[in-house]
Amino acid sequence: MSDTKLRGSIWKFGDNVSGDDGIIEFSIIREGFGKAFDEDALRAMCFRRLRPEFPAEVRPGDLVVGGSNFGHHNHVEVSVAIKASGIGAVVVESCESGIIRRALNVGLPIMICPGIAAAVEDGEMLEADPATGLVTAASGRVLHARPFSARMVQVWRAGGAIPLLQQEFAARRAAAPVG
Amino acid sequence: MAGQTFAQKVIARTIGRDQVQVGDYVTVSADYTVCQELFWPSHKANLERIGVDRIPRPDKAVMVIDHSTSAAMGSHHCETHRTLRDWCGVQGIENFFGPGSGLRHLVMTERGFARPGLLIFSDEGNIASIGAVGALNIPISTEVLVSLISDENWLAVPPSARITLDGSLPFGVTARDLIQTIIRDFGTTDRLLGCCVEFAGPAIAGLSLDDRQTILASLFHSGAYTGVMPVDAVARAYVEARAAGRPYHVTEADPDAAYVLEARYDLGALTPMVTRPPDLHGAVAVGEVAGQRIDQATIGSCSGNRIDDMRATAEILRGRKVARHVTLYITPGSREVYSAAAREGLLEVFSDAGATVLAPGCTTCWGYQGQLNDHEVLISTQQFNYQGRNGSRLAEVYLAGPYAVAAAAVAGQIIDPREMLAP
Repeated sequence: MSDTKLRGSIWKFGDNVSGDDGIIEFSIIREGFGKAFDEDALRAMCFRRLRPEFPAEVRPGDLVVGGSNFGHHNHVEVSVAIKASGIGAVVVESCESGIIRRALNVGLPIMICPGIAAAVEDGEMLEADPATGLVTAASGRVLHARPFSARMVQVWRAGGAIPLLQQEFAARRAAAPVG
Repeated sequence: MAGQTFAQKVIARTIGRDQVQVGDYVTVSADYTVCQELFWPSHKANLERIGVDRIPRPDKAVMVIDHSTSAAMGSHHCETHRTLRDWCGVQGIENFFGPGSGLRHLVMTERGFARPGLLIFSDEGNIASIGAVGALNIPISTEVLVSLISDENWLAVPPSARITLDGSLPFGVTARDLIQTIIRDFGTTDRLLGCCVEFAGPAIAGLSLDDRQTILASLFHSGAYTGVMPVDAVARAYVEARAAGRPYHVTEADPDAAYVLEARYDLGALTPMVTRPPDLHGAVAVGEVAGQRIDQATIGSCSGNRIDDMRATAEILRGRKVARHVTLYITPGSREVYSAAAREGLLEVFSDAGATVLAPGCTTCWGYQGQLNDHEVLISTQQFNYQGRNGSRLAEVYLAGPYAVAAAAVAGQIIDPREMLAP
């Protein structure tokens, strides 16, 4: 079994879910600019407008399934909120390119997987592997998402872009001649 | 061999290949990385965490303080300004632009950083406005730090779409009305998601460079990743005047390049549009919302702050007064725009009308200035209209071009701006 395979219970959302004005609220972004992310506040806000029970009931390793145009208009705080809620991966029908990068940079994989919305139901188990792109529904049906590149897998496994750079620069310093 | 799109060609050139395929993951060293100040405190902390003393290519960094144009009482942004300014000094970054210089979108074009065929990593999708001079904006958000530290980052070669423009803009209609129509048509679909949109067609010759930047700055609300206009004589003359000998590569898609979507718009069929809150795709003909009372009007942001927008605003305001119950803020996009507006007497027109002119920058667009109370109504040339963008979540934000915003400021309510324009 690949160590890149994720397995979790589905929180399912519909089409055209806004990031800044849906998954979270813009006020927390505007007031937070220039400060460290307030992960507790972001977690408490995450998805509550769409599913009020989400912040209290989400469990570590749960997966989010989204419809078309998921998370449009999003600052990085949207990805931080989902990641801080313990979500292991987001599997969507479609989304803009920017949210994939923003999420990956904080260690959250978002996979584009056409057909996912019709193939699964809320609360079902789902398996998803960002490295291979294979997504397996509870019914046994296998869908194909676009696999991550090797670099994207590295970023994800390191927990984000900054932790990866930290590792790489530390390794570079260790390899450099002393003096 | 299949034809290559504009984006494919620019990316291929940047990595020294003849061609790349859509969907390829490649690592590129961008010609420039452009960054604003708001995330700088966390960038600075991350630089220290990673242990970076010196960035490899300070000449490729363009750092602009544009969101917080002044360090106001109660704001912590004064520390950000200091930290960024000092860091640029230590790194030897000459392309640092302090508060009031203008939006980095305009800094990039006006100062000749954005040039045809260049690939530029930026922190926002609306910097696609640099596509007006044939540069490719690749928005990577907070990852600009990766590019600054490593002088490279990954990207996936985007698919491309082509939107062909015919005809010419009718009386009282602006490029903003076109892009609001495009966003209405595509914003809730996934048809442009992830695409580089190439604009084409005979109508482009009749659009000013400001018009083209307005269209491209708002394009990402359609779901597109980035976009570009053809580099014609107008764009070439603009670039040549600012390139100062620095290289560029005018790049055109091959005639047999593959597009995932083709669409056409007849500019002659467009009408003044107003986008209703709280959805960005909610554009309707102005008549449908005429009579809506407003409390505040703002002209500015990367989608409406260039000299053409200032001239359009003055066309409405000249000899008129802003309604007593309305506050009107006008933000020229850069020092160059501010100076031009001063030279042309537009600032005097604004002041005489009762408008407040703010320092060049993002200002009212993200609510740094011009905050709204519960139930107040704003009409703006800004980018966003969702709840809470400009203060209270109970306020409402309508979006429109400069004619409609200025006309509403005078009338105190949304009206068809053509009623105030001399034919």
